[in-house]
Amino acid sequence: MVDLGVATLTLEMVAESQMGLKALGAGLAVGLTGIGAGVAEMGIGSAAVGATAENKDIFGLALLLTVIPETIVIFGLVVSLLILF
Amino acid sequence: MSVVIGGPAPYVYVCTRMRVRKSKLLPREEYLRMLNMSLPQITRLIEEMEYKKEIDELASSFDGIDLVEEALSWNLAKEFQAILAITPGILKQFTKSYLRRWDIQNVLTIIRGKKQGMSAGKIKEVVVPAGSLDVLFLDRMIAEESAERSIEMLKNLPLYSVIEREYSGAVETGSFGRLENELYRQFYADLIEEARSGLKGGNQFLKSIQLDIDIRNIKTIFRLRGQPVSGEETADVWIPGASFSVDELKRISQVETIDELVDTLRKKVKSPALVDALEGLREEKPIHEVENSLTRAQLDYMDRLSKRNPFSIYPILVYLEKKKYEVTNLRALARGKQANLPAERIENYLVI
Repeated sequence: MVDLGVATLTLEMVAESQMGLKALGAGLAVGLTGIGAGVAEMGIGSAAVGATAENKDIFGLALLLTVIPETIVIFGLVVSLLILF
Repeated sequence: MSVVIGGPAPYVYVCTRMRVRKSKLLPREEYLRMLNMSLPQITRLIEEMEYKKEIDELASSFDGIDLVEEALSWNLAKEFQAILAITPGILKQFTKSYLRRWDIQNVLTIIRGKKQGMSAGKIKEVVVPAGSLDVLFLDRMIAEESAERSIEMLKNLPLYSVIEREYSGAVETGSFGRLENELYRQFYADLIEEARSGLKGGNQFLKSIQLDIDIRNIKTIFRLRGQPVSGEETADVWIPGASFSVDELKRISQVETIDELVDTLRKKVKSPALVDALEGLREEKPIHEVENSLTRAQLDYMDRLSKRNPFSIYPILVYLEKKKYEVTNLRALARGKQANLPAERIENYLVI
């Protein structure tokens, strides 16, 4: 009979699972900030489309304002890169 | 009952559009400039604004003052229908109910016109199809032989029960005043009921209706002042449902001095904008100035509410009201210019 209650961790396994958790953290950093940016852009985007529908001249400005929450994703990306490398 | 799917985005979209449109309405300075122009200049200026399309369309059938007037009401009707098309969910329902006041106006115009033997073309000119009854329906109503037949067409509408009840009396007395009052009372009662039915955003809608009712009642009080009418005679002109009950209004309308009247009204009115406007009414003024300052107070207050609640029914209602007054102002300006009234006199009639 094999005793399943005791498992020995080799050094390699520890290193691999550390890497795995890092990857998980990096993924969460990008994913959650992406959702956050999306939620923030929802209101701005619909207002921007509304304003552009009435006045086409402000399209450029509206686009700029719409993508400002993208900075959150960039922070997330930076953090995830820092975690991974 | 339609509910918006997709979160608050459609509300944000439509409210922003309304705000942009509101900012495009004529500013005070523009009206003051127009006061010094002649009628053809005003027509040309109007043509350069939002009304270009309508002026071009109608230029072949009308000219001069009629052209301006027709273009203004066409533009108003089209604009309101366009707004109805872009508003989402519950806001659409509220806006639709709010615009029903135009139905009342149109139906009354048609009935009155028919009873007085006006030609179909003439009635068509004064009808503004901004409500839920569209141009085709109104045209069919106008084309009917008699007023009774036109009324028959309204059978499935909420208006019908009131018209049916009051019409024979109105024909007997020869005055549609009572019918009109009853229609508006019914209209406001329906709006209040709808706003109280627990829909999301209903409270805000209710507040703006009650403000509207208050302003209307206060205007009526000022209009009745100095006229020898008893409380009983005026019983059906008051609209219940807001700050004042009908009995209170009857009592207030009998108050003799203007100071006392303003004091009584102030005790009941809550909004600071209205209180300020009432304070300004302590001295005797011509009725159109009183009405103007009350209307301005109402618009200011609704404007403030729309800023406090940016994604509610308010931005839409403010725009609807302000657009209506822009059209009224331009019409007053054009008519005044045509009648060669002095600029100061016309200015007094403008809501700016």
